[in-house]
Amino acid sequence: MNSDLIIHSVKSLFTRKTRSFLTVLSILIGIMAIFTLISFGLGLSKYVTEISTEMGVDKLVIQPKSFGGISIPEKQMSQDDVDFIANVKGVRDVTGLMIQSAKIQPDEDTKPKYLFLMGFTTEKEEKEIFLELMTVDLYSGRMLKKGDKLKVILGYNYQLPNKIFEKSIRLGEKILVNDVQVEVVGFFESVGNPQDDSNIYMTYEGVEELLGEEQGYEWIMARVEPGEDPKALSEKVFEKLRKFKDQEKGKEDFFVQTFQEQIEMFTNIMRVLNAVLVMIALVSVFVSGINIMNTMYTSVLERTKDIGIMKAIGAKNSDILIIFVAEAGVLGLIGGIAGILVGYGISSLAGFAVAQAGYSFLKPAFPLVLIIGSLLFATITGAGAGMAPAIQASKQEAAESLRYE
Amino acid sequence: MSKKIIIELKNVWKTYQMGEIQVHALRGLTLKVFKGEFLAIMGPSGSGKSTAMNMIGCLDVPTKGEIFLSGKDISHMSESNLAQIRGRKIGFIFQTFNLLNTLTAKENIKLPMTFQDIQSEDREKKAEQLLEMVELGDRMDHKPTEMSGGQQQRVAIARSLSNSPEVVLADEPTGNLDSKTGERVLDFLKRLHKEKGTTIVMVTHDRKVAEQSDRMEYLKDGIIVKNLKR
Repeated sequence: MNSDLIIHSVKSLFTRKTRSFLTVLSILIGIMAIFTLISFGLGLSKYVTEISTEMGVDKLVIQPKSFGGISIPEKQMSQDDVDFIANVKGVRDVTGLMIQSAKIQPDEDTKPKYLFLMGFTTEKEEKEIFLELMTVDLYSGRMLKKGDKLKVILGYNYQLPNKIFEKSIRLGEKILVNDVQVEVVGFFESVGNPQDDSNIYMTYEGVEELLGEEQGYEWIMARVEPGEDPKALSEKVFEKLRKFKDQEKGKEDFFVQTFQEQIEMFTNIMRVLNAVLVMIALVSVFVSGINIMNTMYTSVLERTKDIGIMKAIGAKNSDILIIFVAEAGVLGLIGGIAGILVGYGISSLAGFAVAQAGYSFLKPAFPLVLIIGSLLFATITGAGAGMAPAIQASKQEAAESLRYE
Repeated sequence: MSKKIIIELKNVWKTYQMGEIQVHALRGLTLKVFKGEFLAIMGPSGSGKSTAMNMIGCLDVPTKGEIFLSGKDISHMSESNLAQIRGRKIGFIFQTFNLLNTLTAKENIKLPMTFQDIQSEDREKKAEQLLEMVELGDRMDHKPTEMSGGQQQRVAIARSLSNSPEVVLADEPTGNLDSKTGERVLDFLKRLHKEKGTTIVMVTHDRKVAEQSDRMEYLKDGIIVKNLKR
C-alpha cells in the first residue's frame, strides 16, 4: 500500500471543506457522547474497585428488611442479635450501628434541619469495622471515646459555609441536637456524597441520652475470620439467625449480604443506566456513519472523471478502493480526534460540577485504552461507511468514466 | 522490412447496445503499430476514433476480435490486469488534458508511478526530470488550474512518460489549444519521437496535425479505409 494514496485522499477532503466539516461534525457529536459517557462509567468502576479494597472484602452487613432505600426501617436489630452473631463460628468482630433522624441546629435562632444521627461503638476492634465500612477517617479533632456522651463528630460538610447551614461550624463549638447542647469534638473526612457528608456521629450512650434507652440497630456489621469465605459465611449467619429469631423460611425480617454484594447492587444500577446512555450515543454514531456514506457517494459521483483518469494511468480497482476507503476513514479519524477533545472537556467540566454538588465519587476516568478505542471506533466507522461507495467507485469502467463530464 | 510490431488489432469489433439498437463502433478494425513509429489515425467524428483509441490503450476490451500488445493477447484480460498493463506500457495524452486538479504538476506526474509501487525518492527524481524536459521546471508546485492550456498539456506529456511506456497515445492532443500552443505541443511530441525513439499513436481529425506524423491511417465507419502515405 502506498502512503501517497492516503495523502491524496486527505488532500481531496480539504478541497471540499464545508462538506467535510459537516460530516466530521456529525461524527464528532457521536464520539463525544460515547467518550463522555464511557469515561464516567469507567470512573465509576474505578471508584468501586478502590472502595472495595479500602473497605475490604471481609465484611458482612446484616440489615432489617425495609421498604424503600434510605428510610429508617420500623423493625430494628437488637443487642441480642449482635451477641448471637458474634458467637457464630467464623465471625471475628461484630458491631451495630444506630441510625436515627435528629433535629440539628447550630444555635437556637437557626431553622433546624432533620438529618441522620449515627451511633457507633467505642470498642477498638468494632470501631475499626465501622470506619472501614464508612470509608472515613478523622479529618480534624479527636475520635469519640468511652464515656463521651454529649460529644459529637460531624460529617465533612458542616465545616463548609452555605452547605448545610449558612454558617460554618468549627471544632469546639456547641450545637443543638434535639434541643440538647452537644460539643463538636471532631470532623470526618469527605465520603464523597452529600448524604453521608451531612451525618452526625455520637457514641451509643450519647444517642441513648438524647433519644432514650434501649435503642436498636439499623445495621449490624461483622468482620469474618481471615481465610473464611464471606459468601458462605453470610449464608450461614442468615440461616442461624433465622432459627435464633424463630422465623419461618422466606418470612425473615432481615437480610445478610457480603459487603461486596452491597456495593455491586448499587453500582449495577449505575452501570445499567450508563449502558443505556451509551446505547443511545451509539445510535448517533450509526447516523453519522450513514452521513459519511452519503458524503462519500456524492464524492464518488463528483469524481467519476478523476476515477477514469486514474484508471487510465494505471490505477487498479484496489487502488481506487483504498483511496476512497482511506478518505472515509480519515473523516472518521478527524471526527474521532475532535470528539475526544470535546468529550474530554465536557467530562472534566461535568466531573467538576458533580464534585461541587458533593458527588465527588462520580469522577470520569480517561485510560489510554478508552482514547485509543474511541479513535479506532471512529476510524472503523468511517472506513466501514465508506466501503460501499468505494466499491462502487472501484468498479466504474475506465473508458466510460473518462467520457463523464 | 523487419519492423517490430508493438500493438496489433485483428478484426476488432466493438458493439454498444443503445436501448433496442445495436451500434457497431468498430466493424472489423485491423491495425498494426510498429515500434518507434509516429502513427496518426485520422477520421471524422463518429468514425470510431475514440473507440479505437480505447482499444489500443487497453481501456476497453473488444466485443469480437483480438488485440495483441507486445505479442500478448489482452482482449480477454481482467480489469485489474489491464490497469497494470496500461500503467506500465501505455502513456495517455488527452484532448482535455485530464490532470487531477487537486494535485500539483509534480504530484500529477508522480501518480502513475505510485500505482506501480515505485520508490518515493525515485518518483520524486523522475517527476522533476520530466518537468524539466517539458520546460516546466519552474511550475512544479502549481495546480493545473494555475496553468495555461499549453502548460497543462505539457504536464500531461510528462505524466504520460513517467513509467517509460512502450507507446504514447495522444487523443486530439491539440484539440483544445490555439494553433500556436498546439504547434509547441506537437513539437514536443515530435522531439520525443526523434530523440528518444518513443512510439506515438495520435488520434486526430485535423489533417494538418496528422501530417506531422510519419504514417497516417484513415478511419471511417469503424474500419480503416485508406492508407495515406506521404
